Amino acid sequence: MSFNSVSFLIFVCVSVILYYLVPKRIQWFTLFISGMFYYIYSCKLRILYLFFTGISVYAFALILDKLNDRKSILKKEKNAKLLEKNKRQRKLAVFFCCIANLGLLYFLKYWNFTVDIFTDSSVLKFENIIMPLGVSFFIFQSIGYTVDVYRGKYKAQRNIFKFLLFVSFFPQMVQGPISRYNDLAPELYAERKIDFDNIRFGIQRIMWGYFKKIVIADRAGVAVDAIMKDVWSYSGSVKAFSILMYCIQLYCDFSGGIDITVGVAQLFGIRLTENFKRPIFAHSLTEFWRRWHITLGAWMRDYVFYPLSLSKPFAKLGRFTRKYIKGKAGKIIPTSAATFIIYFLIGIWHGANFRYIAFGFWNGALITASLLLESVFIKVKAFLHIDSKKKWYRAFMILRTCFIVFIGRYITRAPRLKTAVLMIKDTFLDFNFADLRNNIFTSFGLMPIDYLVILLGVILILVIEFKQERGIEIRSTLAKQNSFVQWLAIFIPLVILFLFGVLRSEYISASFLYQVY
Amino acid sequence: MKSSKKWLIVFIITLLGMFSVVLFFNFAVDPFGVFNSGIFSWPSYEITKNPRSAKISYIDENHEKYDSYILGCSSTSSYRVETLNKYFNASFYNMIMYGADMKDVRDEAKYLIDNFEVKNLIVNVYVDNTILFDTLPDRLSYEMPSKLSGKSAFSYYWKYLFMDPRFSYDKIKARYGDEYLPKAFDVFDEESGCYDKRGRDVEHISDLESYYVAYPEFKSYPVSDCTVNSEAINGTLDCIKEIKEMCDKNGINFIVVNAPVYYDYFNDFVLSDLEEFYTALSEITPFYDFSLSTISYDARYFYDTTHFRNCVGDMAIAYIFNDDSVYRPNDFGRYITKENVAQRFEEIADFEPVPKESYSEKIPVLMYHNTVRDGEASGGVNINESLFRSHIKALSENGYNAVTLEMLSDYVNKGTQLPDNPIVITFDDGYLSNYEIAYPILKEYGMAFTIFVVGSGVGHTENYKDTDYPITPRFDFDMANEMIESGLAAIQSHTFDMHQYAPFESEKARENILKFEEESENDYAAFLKDDCNKIREMIELNTNQRVFAMSYPNGICDTLSESIIAECGFTVTFGEPKGMNTVVQGIPQSILEMNRFSVNDEISSQDLLEMISR
Repeated sequence: MSFNSVSFLIFVCVSVILYYLVPKRIQWFTLFISGMFYYIYSCKLRILYLFFTGISVYAFALILDKLNDRKSILKKEKNAKLLEKNKRQRKLAVFFCCIANLGLLYFLKYWNFTVDIFTDSSVLKFENIIMPLGVSFFIFQSIGYTVDVYRGKYKAQRNIFKFLLFVSFFPQMVQGPISRYNDLAPELYAERKIDFDNIRFGIQRIMWGYFKKIVIADRAGVAVDAIMKDVWSYSGSVKAFSILMYCIQLYCDFSGGIDITVGVAQLFGIRLTENFKRPIFAHSLTEFWRRWHITLGAWMRDYVFYPLSLSKPFAKLGRFTRKYIKGKAGKIIPTSAATFIIYFLIGIWHGANFRYIAFGFWNGALITASLLLESVFIKVKAFLHIDSKKKWYRAFMILRTCFIVFIGRYITRAPRLKTAVLMIKDTFLDFNFADLRNNIFTSFGLMPIDYLVILLGVILILVIEFKQERGIEIRSTLAKQNSFVQWLAIFIPLVILFLFGVLRSEYISASFLYQVY
Repeated sequence: MKSSKKWLIVFIITLLGMFSVVLFFNFAVDPFGVFNSGIFSWPSYEITKNPRSAKISYIDENHEKYDSYILGCSSTSSYRVETLNKYFNASFYNMIMYGADMKDVRDEAKYLIDNFEVKNLIVNVYVDNTILFDTLPDRLSYEMPSKLSGKSAFSYYWKYLFMDPRFSYDKIKARYGDEYLPKAFDVFDEESGCYDKRGRDVEHISDLESYYVAYPEFKSYPVSDCTVNSEAINGTLDCIKEIKEMCDKNGINFIVVNAPVYYDYFNDFVLSDLEEFYTALSEITPFYDFSLSTISYDARYFYDTTHFRNCVGDMAIAYIFNDDSVYRPNDFGRYITKENVAQRFEEIADFEPVPKESYSEKIPVLMYHNTVRDGEASGGVNINESLFRSHIKALSENGYNAVTLEMLSDYVNKGTQLPDNPIVITFDDGYLSNYEIAYPILKEYGMAFTIFVVGSGVGHTENYKDTDYPITPRFDFDMANEMIESGLAAIQSHTFDMHQYAPFESEKARENILKFEEESENDYAAFLKDDCNKIREMIELNTNQRVFAMSYPNGICDTLSESIIAECGFTVTFGEPKGMNTVVQGIPQSILEMNRFSVNDEISSQDLLEMISR
């Protein structure tokens, strides 16, 4: 049941109605049932993977909870020996829990890839692995929960169904966010009266998401696919055009999907963590990734980067580099190494392919380089009398970030890493502007009207995001307008969604790009 | 909070309102012919959009007009219902659906048999049935009505109610662009169910090389992966079996024909796979196999690499009825039973097509106009008597045999033979000199000839029509009949009055048969048809001869004019003077828009012989 199917909309309506009709104390349970229904409808028996994660993490968390309780007692008793044993047990529990679940993720996502690297034989391969929906999301979310319980951040959930609801809350199954238990659980288990403001804002946000997803992203995707299918017959300019369209597609697809997720959750009165914060306005690559898929970055930071940076081997590395490498480089090498690892992980998180590894490398290398060269940049800026706060310089930084991201997108979109490299080469060495003739655009499966829709849509998104960036709350501003304007704000988006989105029946509706991650 | 409640109500009302508008619009306009709402019915458009849904809707409304059906993929369209009706003495409807597999055919057959009177049911099998079964994408253009497919009626109707309203808008827009000939949006003739090939079937066909130039895909036919799959074969066979059982149970005459295949495509299949399929099919039912024959080896019998021409469909039906008056190669068509299927495959394995020269002829056509006495001013299209005599004498002495257009037509359509060195001699306009000067010479040498007369000028010896302008004198019907009685002459059409001379006309002159730019196609068609009927009636009434040939004034024509003229029953036509003709047996288009050699005063008899040498 994809987000852009009629059945999804019907399902959401029914779930919302049920949610507000049932007695408040079992509202959470209707969410649980909806999640189960959604998952079984979409993935059939593959729900067993979800149960595996849900039940194993639930059980390990209870064990950890008990061990934590025992730790407090032992601390009071100041029993160093048993405390040490308790520490080992807790570490062992969290280790096993992570190994079991990451092992499952590895098996589902990367096993065949690994086999391919080491052998030509397909004996060890499992050809029929179909990834369960949102597997990375629910496993990461559950691991975060386990680690938090291990760290004693909060108590484990004792009700298995409530815990399974946390793991399987359906709006975030498709593309996150990766929520934290302490943020999401209170929202999920709360008892609520219907709040029409939430319904209204939820619907508006959903519509905005659909606009981005089905009006812009799917449209741009048609051209991207058409060019990619026959990429070698075009010169650099067309290749660059396809990547530009892909950037638009990905931006709208991902942010649109998040809007739908957040909007649907809002219909239930549930506030989800924001996962996308207008990365187009990022001043640097680091900031871009802090704004794009925020919860994945935060997860990596809290559960990989910090533990890694503070781990013994990294401490040793730090001491070593400070001793033998002079200057700033010596200080930042451990951080850079951890950064590299994080981007490598984010890269392969996107898929089992060398492209994604290279994508992680590209980002990691640039960020490390920028850290290393920071002092040089500062000196150059001082020499050129550049004021970083000037508007033009900020605009320059935004454009620079966009350009770097644009180049990175070659790597993720090309079918193979080698193709990506050659495409980038052609873009710079064989641009051939003349190839962007009028009639070439219509050969990509889109009509001139479609390009106009994409262009106007992108402008609209930029204007709105710019306003949001300046702190203007669009929906609240809209709510203050007179009735006619408000009605127009319903009517016009609906007409646009109908005409350019929902009713494009012969377009093959693309599934969400992030669904498989 | 309160305002949000109001907002929600307005939102729901707006949403429902928009739903209703879209639903009603799509229902009323119904571009795919799904609802039979009758508000804006245009079957040929709807069938073009989706033959599956729209043909069923059409048959639901018109089933009393038909008692027999032919079903299958797009090549089925080449079995013309007029031909089927003539031989079967029935009223056929052609249910061709593009991309149809045997599952579609089974579903349609079942629906027709269950709901309507069916006397004959023909199923057209194509080699593709061994590789394709139930593989079509789920799209509006391919969707089978739910009452046939057994799928959910709700989702079927929902799809068409809630489709892009631009489909409906396109239908309305197309209505304003609809003209006489089929356009891309109305390629079907709803009455017969076939593709409307009026435009396609008047294209001039000549030698194979020019055909390859026009249709290069035949020459560089791509090798396709034609690995048959058992799922498709079994699915196809099961469906045919089911149809046969239904027909047997209901006393319906059931016939299976296996369509002609272009040889290059046929060769992409593994012979043993096909043998397996043909054998299994013959165990279910005997069938007529036209898949491989000399026809398969000649691209001119095909519209494109997967669709054989209507003329080949006519041959197939004639074969079934053993009608020898219709040309077909001896190796075309075999009735396959389980007893002779192995033998058929031996024949296919060693198959050699007959050489092209044995069923085609290079035929020169001479175009004369006015003949003048020696010493009178010649030049232009005039030719003086002695030069004309020397031409005819040279032809006679060099073994040329002048043939009539009737003979030419019979050679193409009936497969009769022509004498050696055939040549066609024609005169345009109907000048008196043709009777006074040319006829005696032709009679002397026993040469057959055809004169194309302009109806409005026949018998006018002094003035251009009813004006005072002088005219080169024309012969009258008494003279015509005298020439006809000699057994050598034929009088045919050069239009009734569409070869006007502009300076002598008070209104805009029709100098040729083309449409005026400002004229609508329908008005033009009515005018041209009227002209065709006038000249035909005039000649037939006065000479008792069948009129079936026309030379286009100034040799000019286009697809529209040609198709209207073909509709009026003209089967032999002459266009620009461009050279030699290659006339092919079984291809009526090879005697349409034929080339001629324009012969005038500047051409000596030696030049003439060189010009027409093959």
